[in-house]
Amino acid sequence: MNWAEQIVQTLKEWDTSLIVYVPDTSIHQVTSLIDADPYFKLVSATREEEAIGIAAGSYAVGRNSAVFMQSSGFGNAINGIASLCIPTRTPIPMFINLRGGLGEFNIAQVPMGRAVIPILDQLGLPHYTLEDDGNMAASLTGAMKLCHANRQPMGICLTQPLHGGKVA
Amino acid sequence: MRRFEATQLVLRLAGESPIVSNLGPTSSELWHAGHRDRNFYNYGNMGLCSSIALGMAMGTDEQVISLDGDGSLLMNLGTVASIGREQPKNLTVIVWDNEKWGQTGGQTSHTATGTDLEQVAQSCSITRTKTVSDLEDLEAAITDALASSEGPNFIVAKIEDIGGSTSVAPVEPEQTLYRFRNTFVEPRQPGD
Repeated sequence: MNWAEQIVQTLKEWDTSLIVYVPDTSIHQVTSLIDADPYFKLVSATREEEAIGIAAGSYAVGRNSAVFMQSSGFGNAINGIASLCIPTRTPIPMFINLRGGLGEFNIAQVPMGRAVIPILDQLGLPHYTLEDDGNMAASLTGAMKLCHANRQPMGICLTQPLHGGKVA
Repeated sequence: MRRFEATQLVLRLAGESPIVSNLGPTSSELWHAGHRDRNFYNYGNMGLCSSIALGMAMGTDEQVISLDGDGSLLMNLGTVASIGREQPKNLTVIVWDNEKWGQTGGQTSHTATGTDLEQVAQSCSITRTKTVSDLEDLEAAITDALASSEGPNFIVAKIEDIGGSTSVAPVEPEQTLYRFRNTFVEPRQPGD
């Protein structure tokens, strides 16, 4: 089972069937699997903050939800996370493709990509970064358990060494 | 049409249906019109009311009602396109349109200068749309929407520019979600 298949499997184990995303080349490796699997409903949002709102609504009626976005789009989602999810205590696993690391070719991806982790820390939200696909099952299970126990969003950051990234 | 009387009307027609309300006076007036566990009051997030309602409509088969505002929806117009794309049959969006950002001092919104939100919805493939300006037409539009299994429904309700007509509701966001969600699922137990 590769890293993308492992994410799909973990989402199922945690009864997380409504997936909201804004398209991203690397994350497409996961969202294409989700789109092809009738267990899931995959929803395309126009912007990342909207994705947070849709996911929070789904959780509020009892259907667990997760979001997928790129690090640049995480910047668009911050106020939704801070003013909706944190005050209401809504657990949303946020799978974030973390740009701006070793091998990044695009100057515009560096500032926001490198700001994601400090912003999550400032908000007091837990996060975990996956650098390779070793121990994926245990790491993802632990992340989902922490997210729901804490009843807050959690950042699960996916990196170029894990997924191969986008090449210039 | 005054928003508070219109909100009372929505509550009377909604039955047990979940209602999501926009931040500010819309949520306060919903609380005063009739607090219930199935009211999801938004407290500080700008523009997400109908996105939340869209997520709810895809998580339950029940009819979901969004009480949005013109200024708030303008902050997140993309969600109208997402509603049009997903076509949830069980979603009714009601936009209280006073042509102002009432919560921030009454600055004119874009609906005062030509933006027609009903046409926006139409152009996003939402076909069941209405613009109403009195309680009688609003009642007919909501009754028709809730009886239909062919949503989404999109109702622009023009309201008077009188600001909030109630005191601020004592809303606690964490309790709002806890109470609301527990009407759909078994309450969580310690250690769950």
